[in-house]
Amino acid sequence: MEGAELAVQVLGTWLALVLSLILLPSAFGVSLGISETYIKILVKTLEWATLRIQKESPKESVLKMSASSGIIQRDESPMEKGMSGHRGRDFELSDVFYFFKKGFEAIVEDEVTQRFSSEELVSWNLLTRTNINFQYISLRLTMVWVLGVIVRYCFLLPLRITLAFFGISLLVIGTTAVGQLPNSSIKNWLSELVHLTCCRICVRSLSGTIHYHNKQYRPQKGGICVANHTSPIDVLILTTDGCYAMVGQVHGGLMGVIQRAMVKACPHVWFERSEMKDRHLVTERLREHIADKKKLPILIFPEGTCINNTSVMMFKKGSFEIGGTIYPVAIKYNPQFGDAFWNSSKYSMVSYLLRVMTSWAIVCDVWYLPPMTREANEDAVQFANRVKSAIAVQGGLTELPWDGGLKRAKVKDTFKKEQQKNYSKMIVGNGSINTESD
Amino acid sequence: MGSSQSMSEEVRELVGKTGFSSDQIEQLHRRFKQLSGNQPTIRKENFNNIPDLELNPIRSKIIRAFFDNRNLRKAPSGLADEINFEDFLTIMSYFRPIETNVGEEQLEHCRKEKLRFLFHMYDSDSDGRITLEEYRNVVEELLSGNPHIEKESARSIADGAMMEAASVCVGQMQPDQVYEGITFDDFLKIWQGIDIETKMHVRFLNMETIALCH
Repeated sequence: MEGAELAVQVLGTWLALVLSLILLPSAFGVSLGISETYIKILVKTLEWATLRIQKESPKESVLKMSASSGIIQRDESPMEKGMSGHRGRDFELSDVFYFFKKGFEAIVEDEVTQRFSSEELVSWNLLTRTNINFQYISLRLTMVWVLGVIVRYCFLLPLRITLAFFGISLLVIGTTAVGQLPNSSIKNWLSELVHLTCCRICVRSLSGTIHYHNKQYRPQKGGICVANHTSPIDVLILTTDGCYAMVGQVHGGLMGVIQRAMVKACPHVWFERSEMKDRHLVTERLREHIADKKKLPILIFPEGTCINNTSVMMFKKGSFEIGGTIYPVAIKYNPQFGDAFWNSSKYSMVSYLLRVMTSWAIVCDVWYLPPMTREANEDAVQFANRVKSAIAVQGGLTELPWDGGLKRAKVKDTFKKEQQKNYSKMIVGNGSINTESD
Repeated sequence: MGSSQSMSEEVRELVGKTGFSSDQIEQLHRRFKQLSGNQPTIRKENFNNIPDLELNPIRSKIIRAFFDNRNLRKAPSGLADEINFEDFLTIMSYFRPIETNVGEEQLEHCRKEKLRFLFHMYDSDSDGRITLEEYRNVVEELLSGNPHIEKESARSIADGAMMEAASVCVGQMQPDQVYEGITFDDFLKIWQGIDIETKMHVRFLNMETIALCH
C-alpha cells in the first residue's frame, strides 16, 4: 500500500539522518556544531522577546527582583543585641518582641521552603510554564511563542525521544555485551567507550550544552566526587566527561534493568534498600571501593535530595567520613533555557522528563575544583562545610545550613532546643538565678 | 496571564485598608498562596511547614495571634478557624513600620495598636487583664527549651517581673492587697517613653525597577 510504503520511507530517512548526524559523531566525541547554532539562535530570539516586553509596556518593565532576594529586610542582629542586655539580667516584657519579630519574618519569607520550588525568572523565556508574572504583550510575541510551541512539541520532542530510546538501549546492550568479556584492560576501555557514547547521546537527547571548566582537576581513580544536586540529569552531565562509579539504591523497572546492565561492565555500588539503613555497612563498602586504586571514582550527592539550584544545603557527613580524596564539582544550570530542577513532590519522573524534553535546552556550567582532603583537626562535619562553601562560591550559589531533608520532614527537635537554650542561658546565666528579694 | 484590570480594584481596596503598597501586596499574596497550598484560606496547620518558625519558642502564641478575633477586629474574644488573604494582611499591617511623616495623633494611634497587639498575646483568655498565670505561661514558653531550668525558676522570674509591673502601675501596695492583673491602660503606662518602633516592625523592601542587563 502506498501509504504504508511512504511512511516506512519517511521513517527510514529520518533514522538515517539521526544516525549520521547525531549518533555517529557522539560515538567519536565529535560535535557537528548543530547544537551551538541552535543555542545561538535561541539566545537571539529570547533577547528580542525581552526587548519587546520592555518596549510594549514601559510601566510593566518593573521587572521585579527575583523572589530569592526577598521582600523584607531581615534583622540579622544576634539575640543579645536584639534584646539590649547582657547575660544574667532579668526578664523583660520586651524580650518577647524579639521572638515575635523573628516569627513574623519567618512567616513572611523563609529561606528554606523557597528552595524547594523552581527559581523564578527575571524575564520570560517563551515557555508557558514560566509565565506567572507576565501578561499579553503583543501579537508578534504571541506568534513567536506559537512557533516555539510547534518547534518544541512537533520537532524537538520526537527527535529527543528517539535519541533517548537509542541511548538507553545502546547502553543496556553495550554494557551487557562488554560484561561478557573477561576482566582485562580492554574490557575497561570498552566499557568506558560504551558509557561515554551513550551518555553523550542521552545529553543530546536533552539538547544539553555543557561547559566544563578546569578540566585539569577532573576526578581521578580511587577518589570521591562530590557535587550539588539539582536533578537526576546531574549524573548524565558528569558522566559525559568522565566515567564514575555510581552509588545508589537498587530500583525496579527500567532503572533496575539499566543498573543491572551497567554493573556487568564496570563495578558500580548498588545497595539494597535494607542495606541503606545500615550506615556502617555503606561506609565499609565505599571504603573498599576507593581502596582499590584501579576502580573509578565514586560519585556522591551529599545533599541527599534535589534542591532548586539557587543554593547549596547541608552536606550530610556520611560521605566525608569515608576518607580518601574528595573532588568537589559545582554544577550551575542556566534557567533561561529550561528548568532542570526536579520537584519530586509535584512531578513524577516521567512528567519531569517530558517537561525537560519540551524545554528549549539544558545549558549548564560545570566547574571542577581542586581536590580536598580532611585535615587533622577537622571533624567530618567541618570538612563537609568546607567543601560545601567551596562549591557554593564557585557556582555562585547561596549557602544554607539547613538540611535538604526538610523538604519532607520537620525540623529536628535537637535543632529547636538550641535556640531556646541560648535564650534561657541569657536569662538565668547558666543555672544561677536572680531572685527578687522581697 | 490574568487580566490586570479587576485585580487592581481589589488591590486598591487593600492598599487603602492596610497601607501596604500594591507591589508588597502582590508579593504577600504569593506568599499567602504558598502557605495555604493555593487554597483561599489558611488554617493553623499551614504554619507547620516553616522551618524557621519551628525554632521559635513562642511559635504557638504567634500562630494564635493570626487567628485571634481581637486582632482580626471581628469579635472581642475567641479564635477564628481560618483566615483569608485580607485577614492575613490585617495581621501583617500591625508590623508595618510607623510612618515618620504623619501627625502626632496618628503616631500615637499606631503605637497604641501595636501595643494592643502585644497585649492580646499575653492576655490569652481575653478578659482584659494579664494575670499572674498568663504571665507565667509566657515566660515558661520562652524558657521551655532549656532542660536545666525547672519550672520553679521560670515562675519566680515571672513573679518578679509582675511585682515590678505592679509597682509601676499601682505604686506601693498594702500587705493584703491583691494585684489582679495588668490592664491595657497599665500596660500602656509601662511602655510610656520606651521606644518600640524598632522592636516591633518588619521592614518591607521597596520593589525598585531594575534595568534588565541580560
